[in-house]
Formats: sequence, C-alpha cells, structure tokens
Amino acid sequence: MQIAEPLLAAIEELSKLPGIGKKTAQRLSLHILKSDNETVASLVKAIEELKTRLRFCSRCFNLSEEELCEICKNEKRDKKIICVVEEASDVIAIERTHEFNGLYHVLGGVLSPLNGIGPDSLKIKELLKRFESEDIKEVILAINPDTEGETTALYLARLIKPLGIKVSRIARGLPVGGDLEFADEATIGRAVLGRIEL
Amino acid sequence: MILTSIYLRNFRIHKDTKIKFSENLNYFVGGNGQGKTTILDSIYYLCTTKSHDTKTDSESVRFNEESFELGGVFRGTSENKIRIVYSLKDNKKEYLQDGKKITRSVDIIGRFPVVLLTPADHAITQGYPGERRKFIDSIISQASGTYLKILLDYNKTLRQRSSLLCQMKENRRNSLSDELNAWTTKLVQSGKEIIEHREKFVNEFNGFIKESYEIIMGKEEVPAMRYFYFDGMSSSNIEGKFFELLDQKKEEELKRAANLVGPHRDDFIFEINKLNLKDFGSQGQHKTFQVALRFAQFFYLKKTTGKTPVFLLDDVFGELDKKRSIKISEYLREVGQAFITLTDFANFSFLKRQENDMLFQINNGTVDYA
Ligand SMILES: [Zn+2]
Repeated sequence: MQIAEPLLAAIEELSKLPGIGKKTAQRLSLHILKSDNETVASLVKAIEELKTRLRFCSRCFNLSEEELCEICKNEKRDKKIICVVEEASDVIAIERTHEFNGLYHVLGGVLSPLNGIGPDSLKIKELLKRFESEDIKEVILAINPDTEGETTALYLARLIKPLGIKVSRIARGLPVGGDLEFADEATIGRAVLGRIEL
Repeated sequence: MILTSIYLRNFRIHKDTKIKFSENLNYFVGGNGQGKTTILDSIYYLCTTKSHDTKTDSESVRFNEESFELGGVFRGTSENKIRIVYSLKDNKKEYLQDGKKITRSVDIIGRFPVVLLTPADHAITQGYPGERRKFIDSIISQASGTYLKILLDYNKTLRQRSSLLCQMKENRRNSLSDELNAWTTKLVQSGKEIIEHREKFVNEFNGFIKESYEIIMGKEEVPAMRYFYFDGMSSSNIEGKFFELLDQKKEEELKRAANLVGPHRDDFIFEINKLNLKDFGSQGQHKTFQVALRFAQFFYLKKTTGKTPVFLLDDVFGELDKKRSIKISEYLREVGQAFITLTDFANFSFLKRQENDMLFQINNGTVDYA
C-alpha cells in the first residue's frame, strides 16, 4: 500500500514519543489531518513554545520561563525548606496538593549503576551548593519509593545530615510501585504531611 | 477454590481442548508426549502467568499457528474467569481476569495459589541451593505479597550493586565508595527482611512437613528442615552481622565484582532423624521427602491464604513403591480437588476411583472422558 509522504512523516515523528505506538501515531495523524487549520496551528505553536519559552530554573532545575522559576522567585514560599524530587513532573504533582509551601530541587533522575547513572549525572553537587548560599534548615526527600529511589534517598541523607540539616523522607505513604506522578493528590498530600525523619 | 473448567487453544500439542473438571480427583491418562503434562502446565500457567516447563511462550504456540489462548474458571467465594492470550507476531502476552487486563505480577501471584509436584522435584532435595531457594521463595511469595515485593526489590539491588562493583573494579574512585555505601545499606535493609521472613517461615513449615511425612511414612522417621544463612554464622542481630560480614568481604567483593554476602546465597537443609538427607538419604527417602514437601506446601498455603490451592501431581506414582503410593492416594482424599497424571490407570490398581472422580484419556492432544 502506498502512503502519502507527509502522513508517513507525521506517523514516524509521533511514534517516537513515549507510549505512542505506530497504530496510535496513525490515528493521531489522521485526526490532525481532519482538524481545522486553527486547531492545528495552536497545537504546533504549543509544541514550539514548549521548547523556545521553557528552560530549567538555574537554582532548582524546575521548568521555568526565565532564569529563575516562579517558585524560586515567590517571596511567600518558605525558603528554609527544600523538597527534593526526581523530575519536574513531580513538582507539578506536589504543587497540585497545595500541601507544601517550600522550595524544590529537581535531581533529574535517580542513581542506577546499571544505566551508568551515578551522583555526577544528577543535580546533587548543585543541591549541596544551595546549602552554602541559602539558609536551608530542612530537606524532604520525595523520591519514588522504588529500589533506585530509596538508595538515592539513603545516599543523599548521608551527605546532608552531617551538615546539621533536618532530613525526612515521604515515601511510605505512596502506593508501592506507583509513580509519584500518578499518585492521586490526596495520597501525596497525606505523604507530605506524614513524612518521617531520617 | 475449585477449578471448574479450562480450555487450551493452539497450545503445544492441543488444538482445541475443553475440559470440565470434577471437584474431587481428576486423572489424566496417556503415554509420553500425548499432552497430559501440558494440561497440568496450562493450569499452572493460569495460576501464575508463567509456564513451569522450560518452554518459552513462543515455543508453546502450536505448529503453524500464530497465537495460543488458555482460559479457566475458578470458583471460590466468587467466580473468576482467567484468560491468557499470546501472540507470536508481537511476542506479547495478555493476562485477563474477568476481562480486565492485569500487568503486574504482584497482582496475580498468590491470587490463585497452586502447588505442583513433578519428577523435576528431585532438584529440591538433591540439587543446588538455588533450587531450594526457588522452592521456598515460591511458597512464601504465594502466601505473602509483601515478601514478593521485597524479593523483587532485593534482586534489583543485587544487580545494581554488582554493576557498581564492576565499575569500581575498573576505576577505583572515592565518589563511588559513597555510592557503594548507599547500595550496601539498601542491600542490608531488604536482605534482612528476607532473612526474617524465611526464618519465620521455616519455623512454621517444619510442623507441616512432619505431619505430611508421618502420614506417608509413619512415625519412625522424623523429618526436619533447617535454614542455613550467613554461611552458618547466624545471629540474633541480623543487621549487625550482615554489615560485619560485608565489611570482612569488602576486598574480595571488589576483586571479584560480585555480591558475596546475603540471602541470595542461603541454603535449606533437609534431615531425617537428624541426619542430612543429601548425604545419607536413600532414593526412596528423597522421593518421599519431595512428596511430603508438596503436601506440606498445599496445607501451609491453605492455612495462610485461606484459599484451597490447586494441586497438580505429575507422574507422582511412577517412582514410588506400592505401600507409599497407597498412602499418598488416601492422603489425596484430604486435599479435595487434585489433578493427577498417570501413564496407565491399569498399572495402579490401588487407586480406587470414586464416584465423583474423573478419568480423562489423553491421546495426541485430544481428550476423551473415560
Ligand atoms: Zn526554581
């Protein structure tokens, strides 16, 4: 069967996205083809601006439109407490609960020797530097409670505690095997409140 | 729990087999390679999502076909329909419970407890420690979802830690030693929980082994199982001992880039009258022990899960003398529903077929009610 070149290209590009197979990519492509020009234009614009207007906050590595993100810039946030998470998507999940009013630090992953990810591949040095330049009294490790996440938390706790900073962990409240991103808001809210000191 | 029926479609030698079962004993009679063990394996499959056989999923698709499908109906407090569909083209398997797709093994293991006695069980008492760990782990995992999660977590920690040891062997750096400390702590945390679970399990399971063994053999021989961990240097302070041993082996671990301490090296020792079965047991004692272990597993799971496991016995009478065979066939009456393969019913005149029992004749992948 002969498929038109532009359609083929669209399917090819869409199927590169995580969780999108060839079949879904084809369905999405045909859907876009049938949509009106306005809808398509705003989709293209949204994708483009995602890349041109967003970058990583130079302090906490959350998504940001400027040098510093909205959270780091917000004077009303509690600047004495940092919540350490794996990915920027975890910041979104915790923000939705409205249970946390401190700052964040996005690690960009977890320790995994099998994948060649060591402390140097994560924003750990950057976190330690923040303890020198900011007046941090407490750190909450909100890392997913899986094998790698728990080990990363152990690693960080051992680095941070000697600095006289209170370290706590919020893992146990989350469903085992569930990603923070998908845990419902109430669960995360309870977890943030019910953190345990390490 | 009762398995009321199954079907096998394009599964190995079976093209389209449908069977309704008895709630008592179900005998499958047929020669080698006719497909009777496949029926037991398909039941095992439905309970665990995996074959017990060494065959892979792709090897299980019937010749010249593109997929296989297995299905079964379990009746307990409620009725559950299980379906497994495997497609050769995508090399994809789907496990459905009442039409709902289930993706995590922790959601399935233990849902329909199963006990399988096979000739391959000789490895449990006569093979390597790994075979005994597999046997013990499969029982505790079916009884406790928590244990299965810890086990998966521990195994992942082992893989990560040995990968890190490898990196350290190639390039020794200080930053890696902090990282190793974190993985070591993680190893001890979940390893300790495994040891505690196994210790508690062995204590409880010993009573079940004694009871089963006595029913088959009488009171003269007293069986026991002992848990052997930390190379026999067990301690009441598991965590402390674990760290201590890891510290002692630190250099060797780095040199060999391997995890040298922990429950992945445990063993279990079987004894009869305080003598090590592996060193002193006769063939008959080994076989009897293997059978007793499976009966013990059945009654242990029944007690701890509150569900009656599906009991599968593959060619159990083939290697036993008549006296023990009679005892076992009587013992099976206490089990309730069971699935038993035989090469020839006529050879087992001691087996009394009761009214509710069913006898199936298996011939080249087809099943006849006999
Ligand atoms: Zn920021």
